[in-house]
Amino acid sequence: MTDIKADSKLDTSGKCCPMPIVETNVAIKKINSGDILEIVATDPGTVTDIPAWCERTGHTLVESRTSEGGFQFYVKKG
Amino acid sequence: MKSLAIVVREDGYDKLLTPLAFAYLQGAEGTQVDLLFVNWAVKALTEEGAQGQVIQGEHADQDGWVRQQVEKAGLPPDIYDVIKALKATDNVNFYACSLAASIFGVNEDNLIPEASGIVGASWFLNEKAAKAEHCQYF
Repeated sequence: MTDIKADSKLDTSGKCCPMPIVETNVAIKKINSGDILEIVATDPGTVTDIPAWCERTGHTLVESRTSEGGFQFYVKKG
Repeated sequence: MKSLAIVVREDGYDKLLTPLAFAYLQGAEGTQVDLLFVNWAVKALTEEGAQGQVIQGEHADQDGWVRQQVEKAGLPPDIYDVIKALKATDNVNFYACSLAASIFGVNEDNLIPEASGIVGASWFLNEKAAKAEHCQYF
């Protein structure tokens, strides 16, 4: 596992669909192209939603992690 | 997805949640979303109607619990506040069907300002639903 430095962090812990994707859309607009957004989530729907959202919207999913506490996604803004 | 049209027929707090959540998802992503409220659901486009939405039928006794779960999920627990949040994306339009408005007592005076107007179903079906990339009925 590489150490990724995020430029911004979004914690959606406890929230469920549609909020993680809604808030990710808002958060990505606030960072610059090339910056990395770390998204923390507990909604299992994000495991499919976030990678598919990256593909659709032109951003890059650098890495995703699953732990006991939930999920982490590192997204590089396109 | 560039555009999504949704026809909402079923009213009731729980039944409105799914079309509104789908519209919120897509609106936040930049999809143009147009919703037509028909039948009883048109009442949700009035302040009184939106705030008065409750869970009906066999799940009515779980209304309070569902609202708590909705709030926990991160959505505003009040339907009118959800509508306001969707409108704030600048990509979601709410329309009241003119027939439903006439039958169920919705007019320009009690229509919420977040709604784009009372429209004919023919206009919506031809100009919005038929031209949308995807159309859903709830």
